[in-house]
Amino acid sequence: MKPIAPVAVLAAAYLLVPLLLGGNAYLMTLLVSALIIAGIALAWALLGNLGGMVSFGHAAFFGVGAYTSALLSMQAGLPVLLAIPLGGLGAALAAVAVLPALRLSGPYFALAILAYAHIFRILATELKSLTGGSAGILGIPGLPTLGGLELGSRNGQYLLVLTVVLAFIALYRAIWRSDYGLALRAMHDSEDATRVVGVNSTLLKAAMLFVSAFMTGTIGALNAHVINFLDPDYAFSGAWTIVPIAAAIFGGYRTLGGPLLGAIAVYLLDQLLFKALFPSGHQIILGVLLGAMILLSPNGLLPWISRRLQRRPATEVRHAAA
Amino acid sequence: MLEVNRVRAGYGAINVLWDLSLTIREGEVTAIIGPNGAGKTTLLRAIMGLIPLSQGDIALHGDSLAGRQTWSIARHGISLIPEGRLVFRDMTVEDNLTMGAFPNSRRAGVAHNLARVYELFPRLAERRRQLAGALSGGEAQMVAIGRGLMAEPSVLLVDEPSLGLAPVMVQEIFGILERLKAEGRTIVLVEQNTHLALSLADHVHLMQAGRLLLSEPAPRVDLQRLHDLYFAR
Repeated sequence: MKPIAPVAVLAAAYLLVPLLLGGNAYLMTLLVSALIIAGIALAWALLGNLGGMVSFGHAAFFGVGAYTSALLSMQAGLPVLLAIPLGGLGAALAAVAVLPALRLSGPYFALAILAYAHIFRILATELKSLTGGSAGILGIPGLPTLGGLELGSRNGQYLLVLTVVLAFIALYRAIWRSDYGLALRAMHDSEDATRVVGVNSTLLKAAMLFVSAFMTGTIGALNAHVINFLDPDYAFSGAWTIVPIAAAIFGGYRTLGGPLLGAIAVYLLDQLLFKALFPSGHQIILGVLLGAMILLSPNGLLPWISRRLQRRPATEVRHAAA
Repeated sequence: MLEVNRVRAGYGAINVLWDLSLTIREGEVTAIIGPNGAGKTTLLRAIMGLIPLSQGDIALHGDSLAGRQTWSIARHGISLIPEGRLVFRDMTVEDNLTMGAFPNSRRAGVAHNLARVYELFPRLAERRRQLAGALSGGEAQMVAIGRGLMAEPSVLLVDEPSLGLAPVMVQEIFGILERLKAEGRTIVLVEQNTHLALSLADHVHLMQAGRLLLSEPAPRVDLQRLHDLYFAR
């Protein structure tokens, strides 16, 4: 069953979803937004899992990526598909400013990076000649048409963001399985012990920060070209940090697929159900949802599902024996 | 081969080592003994670059190690088997050992060195797929020693290998150290158990309050005098 399941999920994601739901513009918009959240959640989980750092500042990378790509495509006239990865690089460059915070750990790092996120928001507000200040940027070019596929259409956006998120999962997996991934996981137990065996732990942590910032910035850039509008309050909103964290923990932040699954579950529940129940302040239910998940399965939804899938054949055997 | 020259080091405002000098000779077991708080572990941490020197120098084969980062010192050929073992609990025994050969220059020898460690510790071969966190204290100490050997170090720093172990296990660990000594390895052994340390050592240094109180070849050490010094204020 194991090798077939991922193929089936991929086929469903690439073929069934656009074919069955493609006509429903609202639902496709929600799915694209959920995938955007998934991309940030994945980047956040990578930094936490491999770098051992809890970040409350991913909105900074998201916003810097969005602004970089928007400005490069509008003012420098770069093609959108080139500007997007450059947005990711811009966010990685912004992460250089965060490097001093690597000396901190645990809650101290989390608080420091929260402050950094605020600095970038102020910069975007105050650098009026470049960013348009708090009035924001209108008319950001949409996604182009590539080889006959209209990326700017609802289905096109969905397919592109889905592909980017899956590519990031593949990158995460490759790092996880490499020797560096082994060293990074070893750092959870004792950073001193990894240094003693010859691991340049500071460099590896910085590398994870750059990878995570690049991913988040790329996602932010994609989002900017999907919604065609930016202002500092939107681009650097704390929601770009909080919702992905909730999604990653809900789905299982120690697994590769957990953040993606969590983002789709949490975002769709929030938008389709909670929003209908409580038009304002519906995000408060996310906390309840997260608490319930931690009671049900502290490791998140994906480990819970895979445990149940593994257990079922065993119980059947037991019933047969009885 | 390893020269510690007038070293001062400590933790922030608290200084622990006071102008400490000693020489570690190639192919010998150098035992550093002394009561709690004498600065034995601090000395090993200073050699390994885990704490900075505020004065003095440490040199391996004439190359100064002062100001170098820990990973660079490890790649230079010094292995520390840390106090309390510090194994990677969430990783398998084999992954723990593989981590010991992390530097690029050591990767080529992984398979050969793994086989050597398993030959030295057959018990680890049986448990290679188990998580290190599930091991007993003695087995974890074996993992820590094995991990230290994976990098083919020129100097092995062993910090209190008997700490918290059952007497049978202590004997087994010291049996292994005996074998490593017979192979001609250079070992620096920090130990509170003076009898065990003396039985293994070629050279003995007694530390107290961050200074050396006595440095003698092991055969010349008079246990009575050693204990008098050890327990004197």
